Amino acid sequence: MIAFTRHSKMAEIILKDYQLLPVINRFGIKLGFGNKTVNEICEEKKVNVPFFLEILNSYHNSDYFPDKHFSDFNAEVMVEYLTNTHTYYLKSKVPHIELFIKKMEEEAQEENCRNISLLKTFFEEYKVDVEHHFKEEERSVFPYVLDLERALSTNNCSQELINKIKNDPIEVYERNHESLEVKLADLKNLIIRFLPPLHCEDDCEHLLTELFELECDIEDHTRMEEKVLIPKVKMLEKKVLEYYGN
Amino acid sequence: MEIENRKVHTIIASEQYLVRLGVKTLLNVIGLESEVHEADSYDELECILKDVPQTNFLILCEDIMQKQKMECFEGVKKSTCMCRTILIGKQQSERCMFDYFISQTSSRKSVVEKLQQFFYDPMTDDSQDEDSRGLSDREIDVLKAVALGCSNKEIADQLFISINTVITHRKNITSKLGIKTISGLTVYALMNNIIKPEEAM
Repeated sequence: MIAFTRHSKMAEIILKDYQLLPVINRFGIKLGFGNKTVNEICEEKKVNVPFFLEILNSYHNSDYFPDKHFSDFNAEVMVEYLTNTHTYYLKSKVPHIELFIKKMEEEAQEENCRNISLLKTFFEEYKVDVEHHFKEEERSVFPYVLDLERALSTNNCSQELINKIKNDPIEVYERNHESLEVKLADLKNLIIRFLPPLHCEDDCEHLLTELFELECDIEDHTRMEEKVLIPKVKMLEKKVLEYYGN
Repeated sequence: MEIENRKVHTIIASEQYLVRLGVKTLLNVIGLESEVHEADSYDELECILKDVPQTNFLILCEDIMQKQKMECFEGVKKSTCMCRTILIGKQQSERCMFDYFISQTSSRKSVVEKLQQFFYDPMTDDSQDEDSRGLSDREIDVLKAVALGCSNKEIADQLFISINTVITHRKNITSKLGIKTISGLTVYALMNNIIKPEEAM
């Protein structure tokens, strides 16, 4: 598979793989590209080009990932991207799924009403899990990553940060990093295998498509955290400890 | 259902005391409740197999088998066809008549994983048929308890079965239904009236 480069035309990229649409959205890039290249668009939007390309290519082709180029970026760019992705899930994906479940609930025959409301509750629980998971990352992991990078660029490192590296390193987070896909897979299984047939097949089909997409997207997202962010943070932790002689 | 109340018998056969001890320790690690018999020679192994014909699992280190014994063993294995076998050795040979294999150089993690498969996974031959069938009565009992929030220990006590049996049932339930999480199983149980809404937490 050919990788996209900085000279690829943005429009052609999307024509080739429409599933990249939500990805470019997270970088604040909107449609109406004309004939502009990746380079031109990124310059306009002040997006880091190599990072943007790595993300596009890794979403487009899962074998492309992980790549050594990732070590060239600031952790800051990555944290910003991951935070945007969290927002995208919660503000765009989750409400879509809720909408389809609601539609199905409205249209279901009596005997299926109860089943759909069970699925609804199940998804509500999942939403709470996901929100909690993201909040934890944004509250404790991401600021820590930024602190590490700042300590290296400003030559100024607090004792507090050193203690954290020693007592509560990223490895702890790595060990406890839960999978967010398992419950989604359960929900799909419940619908595909066990939900009695519905009259609103369209809505059900849309719902399933959304669930499949979200699952894939979250898998890529988790891969990014585990294969890119965590190794990067481990490297930063090591460097900080070396510089500050502890 | 009677099978569940029957004791599980496992034989560990190796010349080396340390190997036997190591295997026993790992059986504790994976939470196996079983009567363990140890054999430090091939003859001893044959004796135990005669005394305990209902042996379920045989863990055998290759140090106990000289070449000519391999053939004798083929006969022994056939006579205990119910028993599941695993070999610990240097290299897995092509015509290995053992169901599972652990390399002597494996890490702790992979040994534990292998032992878990060995003891808890359904054998591949019959698992496919199993999958297409619905849940058995006993599996429904276990599912009900899981959906009500019981721990494995509580389920074992309620149904008078061992924790291992509970774990095996849970694995089979998950592979039949394709549902892994407790909340997913609870939804299934509610959809199918296995538990009542007011019982669910």
